[in-house]
Amino acid sequence: MIEFEDIHKAFGAQKVLDGVSLTVSQGRIVYIIGKSGAGKSVLVKHLVGLVRQDSGRIRFEGEDITHFTERDFFGLRRRCAMVFQHSTLFDSMTLVENVALPIRRHLGATQREALEQAREKLALVDMAALSDRLPAEVGDGLRKRVAIARALTLTPRYMVFDEPTTGLDPVNAVRVDRLIRDLSDRTGVTSVVVSHDLRSIFGVADRIVMLYQGKVLLDGTPAEFRTSHDPVVRQFVTGAVEGPMAL
Amino acid sequence: MSALRFAWDEARGVARLLADTAQALLRARPPAAVVWAQAFDVGNRSVFFILVTLGFLGAILNFQTGFQAQRIFGDTSLIGAATLPILVRQLGPTLVGLMVAIRVGTGIAAEIGSMVVTEQVDALRMCGAGPVDYLVKPRVLAGLIAVPALWVIGTGAAWMAGLWVTHLAFQTNPATYVNLDLTRGADIAEGLFKAVVFGILIPVIAAHSGLQARGGSEGVGRATTQAVVSASLAVIVLDLLIGAVAFGLRGGAGA
Repeated sequence: MIEFEDIHKAFGAQKVLDGVSLTVSQGRIVYIIGKSGAGKSVLVKHLVGLVRQDSGRIRFEGEDITHFTERDFFGLRRRCAMVFQHSTLFDSMTLVENVALPIRRHLGATQREALEQAREKLALVDMAALSDRLPAEVGDGLRKRVAIARALTLTPRYMVFDEPTTGLDPVNAVRVDRLIRDLSDRTGVTSVVVSHDLRSIFGVADRIVMLYQGKVLLDGTPAEFRTSHDPVVRQFVTGAVEGPMAL
Repeated sequence: MSALRFAWDEARGVARLLADTAQALLRARPPAAVVWAQAFDVGNRSVFFILVTLGFLGAILNFQTGFQAQRIFGDTSLIGAATLPILVRQLGPTLVGLMVAIRVGTGIAAEIGSMVVTEQVDALRMCGAGPVDYLVKPRVLAGLIAVPALWVIGTGAAWMAGLWVTHLAFQTNPATYVNLDLTRGADIAEGLFKAVVFGILIPVIAAHSGLQARGGSEGVGRATTQAVVSASLAVIVLDLLIGAVAFGLRGGAGA
């Protein structure tokens, strides 16, 4: 279980999170939604220690991780992986070397063992044939697939996806949606997904949390979102240009 | 006041990164192949620039010194002997440091800054590879190897350019010019120490600027400019401080 309690975060004078609290139950898929700049990515990065809160408390599997050091997060990142908005593959490494990196660093495998395991992981996402290419030599969709393979190499119990379908064609986007759903249904992986993609949100989410002006505006099931009468939620769901949601 | 505050924060940040890098080096050394590749890159990127810049500055220094010597003493035979210690302990390490700050510091800041703004550094941390271990450590060791080597090359180029220009301008005999009598072990030690310090500090300062990059390409641009300004200032300030300490240790000008 993941618990965020009264999280506050500001960058200079700009307040991004203003007392956000939410709980993610084991094995569930929770989508964090909101307009661009609402603080969705900032919130989820708190969980893996990539952003540190100004105040508030975070618990991960019952353990208080609020004051974890960078070294403490090393172990947590083995259990909770993250797929970033951009593929974030390392330009100077081949695709297989990218996937091998967490195996070497987290599991202490030799380069040869790590590469062997990484090739197996790439085969699972149909990328074995391209494993020796550099990231710049393959398209966005393929890079994202490799990034997902890299995140799954350590078989984490928790996954954070930051806009996993952004920039993907509809077919690959559906594949990613299915993968997120399968991870939860078959292996009980808990997923926190940041997304704007309504098709993905309503097709996959167990629960949806909408952030607005630094706070949780609505926390509910997809059905509750569809039937909400809140004007901001309505505007987000319908995609209307006119409405209360400021730019 | 805000500039002073900024300089203080910057110095503290660099000191912290330097301490983290030292700790990381004590924990584990990076693969030798990575360090050598980085050292080759640093050397290769700078060597032509340093040969040209120090060559010309060496020629100018020797010409002006010879010009004054001829006016005052009517004798240019000691020009080579007089300019070599200045080049070895003062101009060589300082100019090489400044050139490396410009040529290599910008590259390090831009590369790491781009990785920060595209979340690659965050991805590294998620993979269990911290940015200090993975990005800063090999570059610091590379600087430690490459900058002293460039100091030897640059100082040699400046002195040899001086030989050529004094021969052309004042008909100084090259055999007379090549005179090591006024160059002491302490001059070499001071020059080498400065080169080592700059070799460590320039990558740390540049990496610190890169790791501070925020936003998009504009943030990377700011980080790059910041790296050159901070690294150049550090080279000049440390040159004076190390020079002053060395002067005191040698017991003044007479030694």
